[in-house]
Amino acid sequence: MTYGPDVIVARLRAALDAFEHLAGGLGTALLALAALAWLLGTAALCLVGVGVLLLPTALRLVRAVADRERARLSRWGREIVSPEPLPARPRAALADPAVRRELGWLVVHATLGFLLGATALTIPITALHDISLPLWWQLVSPEPAVVAQQFYAATDWPGAFVACLIGLAELTIGVLLMPAMARLQAWVGIRLLSPDRGTDLAMRVAQLTATRAAALDAHAVELRRIERSLHDGTQNRLVAVNVLIGAARRALARDPADSKEFLDRAQDAAEQALAELRGVVRSILPPVLADRSLPDALSGLAAACPVSCHLDAEMPDRCAVSVEATAYFVVAEALTNIARHSGADNAAVRLHRREDRLCLEIRDDGVGGASSTSGSGLTGIRQRVEAHDGLFALTSPVGGPTTLTVSLPCGL
Amino acid sequence: MRIVIAEDDLLLREGLALLLKAEGLDVVSTVANAADFLAAVDEHVPDAAIVDVRMPPTHTDEGIVAAVEARRRQPGLAVLVLSAYVEQAFATDLFTTGSARLGYLLKERVGRVEEFLDALRRVAAGGTAIDPEVVAQMMVRTRPDQRLERLSARERDVLALMAEGLGNGAIAERLVVTDGAVHKHIRSIFAKLDLAPADRADRRVTAVLRYLKDVDRKG
Repeated sequence: MTYGPDVIVARLRAALDAFEHLAGGLGTALLALAALAWLLGTAALCLVGVGVLLLPTALRLVRAVADRERARLSRWGREIVSPEPLPARPRAALADPAVRRELGWLVVHATLGFLLGATALTIPITALHDISLPLWWQLVSPEPAVVAQQFYAATDWPGAFVACLIGLAELTIGVLLMPAMARLQAWVGIRLLSPDRGTDLAMRVAQLTATRAAALDAHAVELRRIERSLHDGTQNRLVAVNVLIGAARRALARDPADSKEFLDRAQDAAEQALAELRGVVRSILPPVLADRSLPDALSGLAAACPVSCHLDAEMPDRCAVSVEATAYFVVAEALTNIARHSGADNAAVRLHRREDRLCLEIRDDGVGGASSTSGSGLTGIRQRVEAHDGLFALTSPVGGPTTLTVSLPCGL
Repeated sequence: MRIVIAEDDLLLREGLALLLKAEGLDVVSTVANAADFLAAVDEHVPDAAIVDVRMPPTHTDEGIVAAVEARRRQPGLAVLVLSAYVEQAFATDLFTTGSARLGYLLKERVGRVEEFLDALRRVAAGGTAIDPEVVAQMMVRTRPDQRLERLSARERDVLALMAEGLGNGAIAERLVVTDGAVHKHIRSIFAKLDLAPADRADRRVTAVLRYLKDVDRKG
């Protein structure tokens, strides 16, 4: 078996990824440890009776920690849906299989998960310590410099180089083992925090039903918007054209000179009708999406935005038409919002594809304080994204900056 | 004739005002929403008002509600409501308090200026103007009614024009017949529908509308 440079780079990258996950896992393991201590304390108090009152709080704490781990694991791989809300009565809660599995996870993650995370954190430190030993062992001499977690003591030059080799071996083993450790640490959570198969399907159905309803809602809202813009825009313009032509005919019979003003206005109205009709058609499905690619369409939006907008779009493959149209709509609405409300000088749009999801990030350096619940354009964005089973996240502290992230399943 | 116009679309509002002024009518105020309309009616006490149905803030039936309210405040006010499309419910809401000095027309009718002005004058003079489209819907929606089926084709034409609010002279002109012939048709219609004869145009319209609505409701 030979290792080319590519394989080594790939292994290193995998190890680095795994390290990141293990470190993140260590974070939740610490929380799990704290929750476990709390739970055990509550259990001890139960013996004297007071604990029963504290039990719901302890279970809520466990649920909060478990949800954090679910979110962490969802970011990494397949989405893990939260189970039904906790039953109100402690006895019912303890009988709930999901709660029992959470408690099992808590014990394993607070111990094994913690151990794996802590080990992962010490490996690079120990390896660095040992590898660099030849550089500094003399400084601590004549005390023997201890390496490899107390197993070996270097007292002379050959000893120092042996220590260095041990360090290299540790590093290699670490690189090779870390992905497996990360998988093991995550596996417990994936096994015990995912709803069991039956519940999983039932919840998936519930979620799909909700998103389907949202899709139909979004569809109705979209139709309403189109109806409104056709009615209040184009139709009114055409009525005005009709009225003005009628007036011009009357004027023609009276005094032809009078008819000029009516005809001028009629033509203005007709031109406005055409412009508005073009706008409505464009908003339904931008023709540029059909003719060119999504990045091309977005660069058109970025160029038209009054705020200076940097676009970084990487999308080699096409997605389903409705997904691309939604992405286009999201960027168009977000940039309109930025131009109208944010007071920003700069905006940036990033589009890329991660596995089977289309990811969008839209940032601006404006005043912040945006909300997706106050009936702004952001509400429309959220609804349309959720209708496509996508994820919507908005961070907009008062004072800025505002970041909107959206990811959509590509559908192809 | 002193007129107030309530229409939220700027272009159409200006167009209407221009048209009416060119015809020598006195447009005393033009407004863009229901609240301003009621204020303008209170302030100017006009003879007639032209009101759009859909206005801000909800763009649903603000114009109808405002028209009804304006007539409550000022019973003699003639109101001509303009609508982008026919909605039976709007017409029903509008005509619950009678049909004198009331009109309900599609916006596109304004383009036929002679007929529009005729309708406006008719409403201002105490009559009624109902869009042919509305009448047609009423006649079609009306479930099969034996008495209605007893009418001849020509009598049905006369009935429709009566429902629009036209007087004998105008009906005769439209159908290219003599006044006498129209008179005969109307007597025959009232007899066949078992309605008490009524001479004044607005009473006639009310009777006809009530008849069509009743037939519709009874099914």
